[in-house]
Amino acid sequence: MSQRLPQWELTLIVLTLAAAAWSATLSPYYLSVGQILYSTRQFVYPGILSIGLAVVVILSEIDISLASTLAFGGVLFSKFSAFGVPIWLAVPSVVAACAALGTLNGVLVARMNLPSLAVTLGTMGAFRGLAFIIGSETGYTSFDDSYLFIGSEKLFGALPVSFLLFLALAIAIGALMRWTVFGRRCYAVGRNKEAAWAAGIDVARIKIEAYALAGGLAGLAALVWIGQYGSARGDNADGAILFVVTAVVLGGVDINGGRGGILGVVLALFLLGTMRNGMGLANIGGPTQTIVLGALLIVGVLRPAIFRAVRRLYRLLTPRPPTHRPRGGPRSQSDYDRRTQGQTRKFAHMTRRNT
Amino acid sequence: MSADIGALPTEAAQKSLGQFALRFRVSGVLAFLILLSAGFAVLRPQFLTPENLSAILSNAAILMIVAAAQAVILITRNLDVSVGSIMGFAAYLTADYASRHQDIGPALVLMPLAIGGALGAFNGLLVAYGRISPLIATLGTMSVYRGLTYVYARGQEVTSNKLPHWVNVLPDMRIGVIPVLVLLSAAVVCVLAAFLRFYPLGRRMYAVGSNPEASAFFGLRTQRIVLLAYLVGGAMCGLAGFLYAARVGTVTVVLASGWELTSLAAAVIGGVSVTGGSGNVIGAGLGAVVLATIDNGLVLLSVPEFWRMFIQGVAIVGAASADVVIAARIRGSLRARRQRGRSGR
Repeated sequence: MSQRLPQWELTLIVLTLAAAAWSATLSPYYLSVGQILYSTRQFVYPGILSIGLAVVVILSEIDISLASTLAFGGVLFSKFSAFGVPIWLAVPSVVAACAALGTLNGVLVARMNLPSLAVTLGTMGAFRGLAFIIGSETGYTSFDDSYLFIGSEKLFGALPVSFLLFLALAIAIGALMRWTVFGRRCYAVGRNKEAAWAAGIDVARIKIEAYALAGGLAGLAALVWIGQYGSARGDNADGAILFVVTAVVLGGVDINGGRGGILGVVLALFLLGTMRNGMGLANIGGPTQTIVLGALLIVGVLRPAIFRAVRRLYRLLTPRPPTHRPRGGPRSQSDYDRRTQGQTRKFAHMTRRNT
Repeated sequence: MSADIGALPTEAAQKSLGQFALRFRVSGVLAFLILLSAGFAVLRPQFLTPENLSAILSNAAILMIVAAAQAVILITRNLDVSVGSIMGFAAYLTADYASRHQDIGPALVLMPLAIGGALGAFNGLLVAYGRISPLIATLGTMSVYRGLTYVYARGQEVTSNKLPHWVNVLPDMRIGVIPVLVLLSAAVVCVLAAFLRFYPLGRRMYAVGSNPEASAFFGLRTQRIVLLAYLVGGAMCGLAGFLYAARVGTVTVVLASGWELTSLAAAVIGGVSVTGGSGNVIGAGLGAVVLATIDNGLVLLSVPEFWRMFIQGVAIVGAASADVVIAARIRGSLRARRQRGRSGR
């Protein structure tokens, strides 16, 4: 597995470059540093959500309430701004509040053993409702400039601060997942919950922490949102969760948990961003973009099945020399594997947990 | 569910226990519905007028069909979030066709059924044979189907005066005092419930949902059964889309977007477990009525729209927790009985 992952990430890079080249042929305005950096705005806030979701998915859970958490965070920022709270106080408070919402998800999922899809489906509505209840139906637009800095400002005239924030968060969470005890335990729990529990890992606690982390990141994404759009309302980022889930899955994170990394998610975001940007410049309408997004999602997940089919075809087409095993000699592990492969493959989709 | 302990001496007692629990779940929804209605009736007397109750039922009617479709899929331990897009796609194509063939009769109904069935079957192929997680597969097809509707429609909409006359009057027709739509939905829900309850194929759907691995070893063709569940669900969504189009009159490309979540909410509130194998279609139908009652009551109380989202969300989490608590109770008592049976031998 560890050999296949970099391969997928390389594929993503190649696809991104291909998409960029294609965009360059479609529109003469594509190839400029300013334009490309500006286009990163489109995927920064869903990108931050994807990083959080990736951690949850690696634990083989799901959180579809993240976009609603973002809306809640945005409305909370608007309240802080209206009361004139300084930004250095507002950011930690909002992040903490959003992390608290995440913790609520985590407690419901991990301590009460509820299915994560049902829980986050419910809290998706509840959090958005909460955002409307705290704010009101009219949006808030008169943010203090200090609140808008991260989402709207550009360094050296081109480099958006939000993009830097996204990269910093991606590197931090990537390092967290790769090199810390927490991260490795996440993979262990995602691979095999029972085994991880038997090895002494507090599975429920890890899950709650992951949900809290995802919620806190959604709070930061809200900061980016208000900077980009200059407004906050309960229906912010409505429907963004499709893009977020697509990025995570396309990035090679196994929806059944335990596999994939943040690097893949970031590369998938670059690919999706490049495609959106290119299609936008080429005047390809929103509906077509949606079709492409959905198709990409399906192909991204069908990937293992396609690999399998291609490999089987390859095996069928190339004649194999017959394998000789000394009569009565010990069976090797590979013999055993070969014999059982058909069986395990046949039932592989059922032994995994469906989400 | 309790097939594994069928050989134990206290079989009769366990059977009644299982039936009691199932009844309890549906009667729980019913009790909640009655409590809710009583609450609204006390706060607003006009809630209990026949006109209002009939309005609630007509509002719930189409959602009942979609929730039943979602329930069939949930029972096989799968999920369909593309129901809204299937409804929109089937409704738009059908309305567009009908607008160009004014003299078409009720045979038109076959068209949304076929379209919905085909789209559902595609979902089923991806999930059962492509082995994609149902959430991801249908999330993808949700945007693909919706996008295809956009591309086909090119920003046009089909207005009600272009539809055949009988389509326009269909939602207002009544048999006695009960709207035809309500009767039709109730019939669909009952047929699906009877199919799942009494037909071997229906029982197999429960078997696949409660333990896919075991049912495969038992010899069930799990993939085919899942595919069938998606096909039936898709066809029902197509029908619901057509009825919804007839009800709202003007068919736009965004018709029925957001229904995936509402239908899931109705099914979960009605006691259909998202982990498969338990719950029934009647419960999902009742869940739809609960949602419509909440909507109606909140409007009567003139509570702002967004409270509905909040209450609906809390209701989903509450229903899911109730399911888990009940399941844990059943498991605990079964284990206790099994141990008693073993020590008795």
